[in-house]
Amino acid sequence: MQNFLLKVEELKKYFPVKKGIFAKPSYVKAVDDINFHINKSETLGLVGESGSGKTTVGLLILRLIDPTSGRIFFDGVNITDLSQKKLMKFRKRMSIVFQDPLSSLNPRMTVKETLKRPLVTHGLKNEEENIARIIEILEMVGLGKEHLARYPHELSGGQQQRVAVARAIILNPELVVLDEPTSSLDVSVQAQILNLLLKLQRELNLTYLFITHDLVTVRHVSDKIAVMYLGKIVEVAETDELFSNTMHPYTAALLSAAPIPRPEAKDVERFVVSGEPPSPINPPVGCRFHPRCKYATEKCIKEEPKLMEIKKNHTVACHRAKEIDISSYARKLWEILMAKT
Amino acid sequence: MDAPLLVVKDLKTYFYLSKGVLKAVDGVSLTINKNQVFCLVGETGCGKSVTALSITRLIFYPGKIVGGSIIYEGKDLLKLPENEMRKIRGKEIAMIFQSPMKSLNPVFNIGYQISEAPIVHFNLKHGEAWKQAIELIGKVKMPDPEMRAKSYPHVLSGGMRQRSMIAMMISCEPKLLIADEPTTALDVTVQAQIMDLLLDIKRRSSMSIMLITHNFGLVAERGDEVAVMYSGKVVEGGSVKDVFNEPLHPYTQGLLRCIPVGFERKTEIDYIPGTLSSPINPPVGCRFHPRCKYATEKCIKEEPKLMEIKKNHIVACHLCGG
Amino acid sequence: MKTESVKGTFLKKLETKSMFKLTRLKEFLLLLLHYKVSCIGLCIVMGIIILAIFAPIIAPKHYAEIDVPNKLQPPSLAHPFGTDALGRDIFSRVVYGAQIALWVGLLVVLVEASIGISLGIIAGYFNGKIDKIISASADIVWSFPTVVLALGVVMVLGPGITQVVIAIAVTSWPGFTRITRAKVQSMVNREFVLAARAIGESDLNIMLRYLLPNITSTILVLATLTLPSAIISTTALSFLGFGAQPPTPDWGAMLSEGASQLVIAPWVATFPGIFIVITALGFNLLGDGLRDLLDPKLKI
Repeated sequence: MQNFLLKVEELKKYFPVKKGIFAKPSYVKAVDDINFHINKSETLGLVGESGSGKTTVGLLILRLIDPTSGRIFFDGVNITDLSQKKLMKFRKRMSIVFQDPLSSLNPRMTVKETLKRPLVTHGLKNEEENIARIIEILEMVGLGKEHLARYPHELSGGQQQRVAVARAIILNPELVVLDEPTSSLDVSVQAQILNLLLKLQRELNLTYLFITHDLVTVRHVSDKIAVMYLGKIVEVAETDELFSNTMHPYTAALLSAAPIPRPEAKDVERFVVSGEPPSPINPPVGCRFHPRCKYATEKCIKEEPKLMEIKKNHTVACHRAKEIDISSYARKLWEILMAKT
Repeated sequence: MDAPLLVVKDLKTYFYLSKGVLKAVDGVSLTINKNQVFCLVGETGCGKSVTALSITRLIFYPGKIVGGSIIYEGKDLLKLPENEMRKIRGKEIAMIFQSPMKSLNPVFNIGYQISEAPIVHFNLKHGEAWKQAIELIGKVKMPDPEMRAKSYPHVLSGGMRQRSMIAMMISCEPKLLIADEPTTALDVTVQAQIMDLLLDIKRRSSMSIMLITHNFGLVAERGDEVAVMYSGKVVEGGSVKDVFNEPLHPYTQGLLRCIPVGFERKTEIDYIPGTLSSPINPPVGCRFHPRCKYATEKCIKEEPKLMEIKKNHIVACHLCGG
Repeated sequence: MKTESVKGTFLKKLETKSMFKLTRLKEFLLLLLHYKVSCIGLCIVMGIIILAIFAPIIAPKHYAEIDVPNKLQPPSLAHPFGTDALGRDIFSRVVYGAQIALWVGLLVVLVEASIGISLGIIAGYFNGKIDKIISASADIVWSFPTVVLALGVVMVLGPGITQVVIAIAVTSWPGFTRITRAKVQSMVNREFVLAARAIGESDLNIMLRYLLPNITSTILVLATLTLPSAIISTTALSFLGFGAQPPTPDWGAMLSEGASQLVIAPWVATFPGIFIVITALGFNLLGDGLRDLLDPKLKI
């Protein structure tokens, strides 16, 4: 019996790149054939660096951009090709919080107006009820009546993000896409917002897609993590499993590179990877990671690996997953991360 | 014991705005030794970037360095005339910034930009400077240096731009490199490479690095010494090991606890209540007292001074014997 | 950069002299006043507006009052600007002319802005084919000299002030369209617009509630800077005889009347001419100042 709130099949998004009248059309393959699902009340962390396509995935799910091909299922319904009108029903049930709170709020709308818009757009026009609901939500996110008349630039970064979260939950959604919600905030404010998100998830039974590049944060909030590289998912596993039994070289590199606030971490041997993520316009043939991978073989250069379940609930897209053991790198760091002071 | 490289004493930099006087840096003292990675850490608005700009005297209206001293090689940098300071800036003390795109000139190729400083400071001829630029591009581990030198900034990736900036800044072999959030805008794997590069250069040319960041992970892994800033003041300082393993100041303790490391997933993270108070009207007494759960009468009235509580570990807190 | 230092020096003096709190509005007005250029502009514009509003009180005689025996008199105490070929007091006519100049100018800008901004927002928001059509039209209209094109329109519609207003507005809208489109394009992928779409806001709502309010400062500056060219274009058409019909004291028409007497009675054409220049200058200076204060990135 499936418990998926969100399921994505063979999702692709190619952005055309105009080069000239006579040049062959080329594409930025931002998202290239990905499959995943999120269970109800679960948090799926989507991790990757720039060019991985993770932000595009968030926008695709909310149909803010249309996929090139593939299918998106929300609570069993195929929403891929629904018209904007029919999509309105679903817009109530899913929402998004962006990275930069200041630019995600209309500079000319007060907090009250910003929070009123979702209500009015979905037919709730009773002024009194709306105000009551707005105040209720503000209190839930840790703000108050006094913030109703403020403009975004009059609020601190943390407060702005709280307003953005309030806007995302005011219609009682089931799924919330969080696109780097804490990356542009200070450490102490990050902690407050993460606490808020966790609290809201518990109280309102929310399902999260948490997109980020920060491994420490994603580890803290996610039940499962999917790692993306250059438009493809390379590894999916439950959080603890991903960190302690890493299988994909890119994941190991990512975990190795994440700076950990413990002086002991200095002495751990790192899985170093050279070069930089190539442009998603002409991704390498075969395994996309092979130019930077020290374990690459002939097969890796020619053939693209598919996501396969190597261990229970742990899938990897790597030809050599069963042969090589890179889990030791991440595991040592993981143990440091887990060690209580 | 070698003499320190740079000693900042009681530095004060204020900004005169229409709303009032913004005391961005209000009595900061720190010591950077030779061959060291010194980290200046704190959140937005604590004054760390302004401190760095004050050291290189790049503070312009409406800001003004109003007090203190910065002793470098026996000279007080704040008392030097501008033309003397210019000899030091870029040559002995260099600085790299967060957004390499904004710091590189888009209309000149990077070979030219890397040659600029040696031409100015050492009077090299263009040809020689160009050759040196190519060498430097190789030193910062960019492939195909001869080709690269002719590239313009907009064709380079973020990591490569930052490497170009680094090449520019080490061209005169400075003794101190100030790096203001050098990797914040970069991907994590590139970040690791850039930090490796910086440390490699430090080792080979005995350069000191002043690393300014809000990322505690970077500090823990790459730093030797650290100073924590809050609201324009240094609240704690010492070796990275000491400060991380035994943080004495409540703010440092709070910050370290904010990072979800060392406890169960999905549990509530301990955070510091309140927000940074206005830098125009900071609270009387200890600036952190409105957010400190240990605050006492004394904390509200009297500002704590930086005291050496343990060997090489300074704190400004009344409750730590300060 | 010069603005910054002027602003800076002034504020520094203020800060060191007194400790009074400057609210944002006060700061804005004080800056406007201190920044000499915009101050002069503001004074001129206020002056012309006062002339226009209080014309019946300021003008000693009615603009149509004929006094043929006293025709073509040079400036004197009784007639500060002299009289024209029909003995009408030029000073009075110039003063009443301010009403027309401002009124017509305002009307032109309003019509122009409405057309231009609407098209600009639509082009910037929808992109694709619609954008190409609108931009191409804008480019075509823009490449014609305004007066020539307006002449064409007026030939079809006939003479008269209303027709002139329509003619000029219909040929100058690309100015607004271009700038609005550019501004909208820079905003359309910002997160707050994405967030609006995520809520389910209709395209119309996004354009009206999210994009339009954020371009008001740009539009205000542009309007202030367009007014002088609107005034000049209308006076040009009036000069050619297509605008105001006698005895309306339109400055352009007065220029035309005075042109034939330029040698004998230069004052007939000179005074209206001076006022045209001063008015245009005033609005330009004010617009410049406003732009530096509100939207420094906009360099027209």
